[in-house]
Amino acid sequence: MGEIRTEELLMNIGPQHPSTHGVLRVIVKVDGEIIREAEPVVGYLHRGTEKLAEDLQYTQIIPYTDRLDYLASMANNHALVTAVEKAMDLEIPERAEHLRVIVVELQRLVSHLVFLGTYLLDLGAMSPFLYAFANRERVVDLFNRLCGARLTYNYMRVGGVKWDTPDGWLEDARAFVPHMRSELKMLHDLVSGNEIFLNRVKGIGKYDTATALGLGLSGINLRCTGLEWDLRKNKPYSIYDRFDFNVITGKNGDCYDRYICHMDEIVESLKIVEQALEAIPEGPVMGKVPKILRVPAGEYYHAIEGVRGELGVYIVSEGKDKPYRLKFRRPSFINLQVLPQLLVGQSMSNLIAILGAVDIVLGEVDA
Amino acid sequence: MSEETKAPQGTEEAPAPIDPRVEKATAFLETVKGKITARFGEGVIEEALLAKFQPTFVLKKEHYLEVVTFLKDEPSLAFIYPEAMAGTDYMDKGYLEVYAYIHSFVMDADIAVKVRTERENASVPSLASLFPGYNWEEREIFDLLGINFEGHPDMRRIMNTDEWNGHPLRKDYVVQD
Repeated sequence: MGEIRTEELLMNIGPQHPSTHGVLRVIVKVDGEIIREAEPVVGYLHRGTEKLAEDLQYTQIIPYTDRLDYLASMANNHALVTAVEKAMDLEIPERAEHLRVIVVELQRLVSHLVFLGTYLLDLGAMSPFLYAFANRERVVDLFNRLCGARLTYNYMRVGGVKWDTPDGWLEDARAFVPHMRSELKMLHDLVSGNEIFLNRVKGIGKYDTATALGLGLSGINLRCTGLEWDLRKNKPYSIYDRFDFNVITGKNGDCYDRYICHMDEIVESLKIVEQALEAIPEGPVMGKVPKILRVPAGEYYHAIEGVRGELGVYIVSEGKDKPYRLKFRRPSFINLQVLPQLLVGQSMSNLIAILGAVDIVLGEVDA
Repeated sequence: MSEETKAPQGTEEAPAPIDPRVEKATAFLETVKGKITARFGEGVIEEALLAKFQPTFVLKKEHYLEVVTFLKDEPSLAFIYPEAMAGTDYMDKGYLEVYAYIHSFVMDADIAVKVRTERENASVPSLASLFPGYNWEEREIFDLLGINFEGHPDMRRIMNTDEWNGHPLRKDYVVQD
């Protein structure tokens, strides 16, 4: 049988494509079914947050951070307020610190649930999405009761948090932990052993630690290669050093490992939430901070372990109430750089499996 | 805005004992500085300072690339993990600055490396060949601040459209309607 003649074809995936969960365009050059070249094109959601921030007081910037990674607004809030607090050497009340840890870990957990649901949906499984979102709803409800918003919380302030918990909130949060544990077992039963799923993700989209480090990957995208690197442990901030939890790592650095890391991090987040709910003291939720926040002149870089990796804030201050320059180190933006090299040589049907496992949020990619 | 709230409990400037964090950071700064000067001489460093507790080096532009290469390749330093990069326009001081934040697992510490360039025809050497992770970061800085990175494999705008006029994060940028 003779060779089948093929021809290279240029194809646009997106900007409007359901599996990109936002507006991302990937230009792929395909030869038959095989991808020869891939180039992500970003910027469709660029709002100039960093430019806007130069004209805003620090408290006014907080709602803008909600709109970066809109699946993890609490973590974004946390990154900004801890950066300002570190620069100003502010003390935070114990209750506020605990509340922050609780909401950030709940946020991490529901963001991972969204990953799980949408990833499976991209791969053709409908029902895990519904289970994942039903459970996410419970946490979104908790957040709603806490701060009146379901997605863009604007909950934290420099010096603490804006609102104390309403009556019964802590009990309901406590009740969520065992509930989520049993739901997680159900999700594992539903997905983790599914042969079709395993065939789609095992051994796909592999890279090693050296590649990941060179590309500056962080979060699960780095840990899935086996490196234990979690800023909550390696550069402790807030009160994370008080809690007992494990850093989840993978072995092979493929899509399956990234999936499993997401699932296992939910377990660890539940552990932290449980301990923090146990230890939360009574007291004020706002520390004594000046009404007008003036960060001392200088430059500061501070990073937290966001949901998708190292979420950093770089502040240049001239001692005024507004930053001279504010830069967000956005994990999704940097993690997305790994995509082209993962796609080359893969078949078209793997594109969605690989893109989904990188777990980006376009609001954060484009800022 | 009211001026009466001026950090009542703020940090008083007492002759306090030396903060252990400052001590540690200073020691680290001196170690790295010693290694750089032993290799290249005094001339490559414009400034070595602590920004809060963060050891920071301002490097001469001509030696920027070779010093960062040394920081990465020297086994006892091994700054191999590019964490963050940012550009800033210091219009009043007349220069643009690129800030790179790199981690070393060997030293278990971070270093901040800075390089400055004039605002007209702004250009600095690219680190993308050393750290592929800085590829998009440098494209973003090029787009928003108009700094050209010499030796970058793909120097195009990344956030704005290719036809965009000007560089939004420059302090003299006029916002268009």
